[in-house]
Amino acid sequence: MNIRAELAKFLNLCFVFSSAYMFWQTYSIVADTHSPIVVVLSGSMEPAFQRGDILFLWNRNKYSNVGDIVVYEVEDKQIPIVHRVLREHHSVKDNGKQLLLTKGDNNAGNDIPLYAGKKTYLNKNKDIVGTVKGYLPQLGYVTIWVAENKYAKFALLGFLAITSLLGDE
Amino acid sequence: MFSLTQRAQYIGNYAMTIGLVLIALIISSSHLDFFQKDILRHTKASIGQIKPIVGFRTSRFYGASNGKPKENTRIAFDLNTDLSGLFNWNTKQVFVYLTAEYNNTEKGTLNEVTFWDGIIKDAEHAVIDLKNTRSKYSVWDYVGDLSGKDLQFKLHWNIQPHIGPLMYGVAEGNDMIVTIPEPEKK
Repeated sequence: MNIRAELAKFLNLCFVFSSAYMFWQTYSIVADTHSPIVVVLSGSMEPAFQRGDILFLWNRNKYSNVGDIVVYEVEDKQIPIVHRVLREHHSVKDNGKQLLLTKGDNNAGNDIPLYAGKKTYLNKNKDIVGTVKGYLPQLGYVTIWVAENKYAKFALLGFLAITSLLGDE
Repeated sequence: MFSLTQRAQYIGNYAMTIGLVLIALIISSSHLDFFQKDILRHTKASIGQIKPIVGFRTSRFYGASNGKPKENTRIAFDLNTDLSGLFNWNTKQVFVYLTAEYNNTEKGTLNEVTFWDGIIKDAEHAVIDLKNTRSKYSVWDYVGDLSGKDLQFKLHWNIQPHIGPLMYGVAEGNDMIVTIPEPEKK
């Protein structure tokens, strides 16, 4: 066993992970959002988005427009929700705050029952993670599979271990 | 000469490159098609016969707080439009929505609200002809009342692609301005 070769392989792996991380962080800064790529988890926007679709976000817009599809987070809940803006109200003053009401295309009613506490509107600056700009179908399903299937994690780890064992050049 | 992992890696890289080229071709060709059809200027709509129906609701889900009645507005409207130009090989669906913009001068707010929307899945169903249709939503202003305000109605569209960027636009046509009347007092 050649220790130098093994170390080089390990370094290569580190390089792959760190460049992926750098890409993510750079995109975060450019798009001004803490999670610029999200995977759709529910069917509430069907038929536009299905579970597992990948969405690319942008958050440098000052105000959202009616019809924009936005990703928002409700206080105390970690799950991001992807829904469409139904109404917007903003102050004519510069940098005045904007209130939004959202709704899922596939839901019968608006999102007021989903909002935290007694809130009946979202605040653009505080609650919105980003606006959906680009769409890639289905490829995010792997992450749902890994997160929801208890054997998937082991399968993935096992696969990585076998390939690294077999990987003697 | 080649190990299993090298072969797998080679096939993987090759598949990814071909996939990316195909995606780029699909997106650029569909944008070229939309550019040639000039969809931003050639998508037209006529909105008419807007009849406001003003009433009161007492639920928190209709803008009321502490059980105080909140003024709510619905409309009946006519709509005629042909959105078939928005469909090509990369169109998954078109979301079409009728909104109204208004200015609340007392509170100093600009507002836009949706009264009606719909999903069109293919070009065969892209001609919309609605007569005296009730709005899908009951609308209220978040601080005041809608009565007395001038609402400017517009028809917007949003193309959801099979892959690539989302596109938005406003149908050209008569911009209807309707003043919402005072509700009948209870």
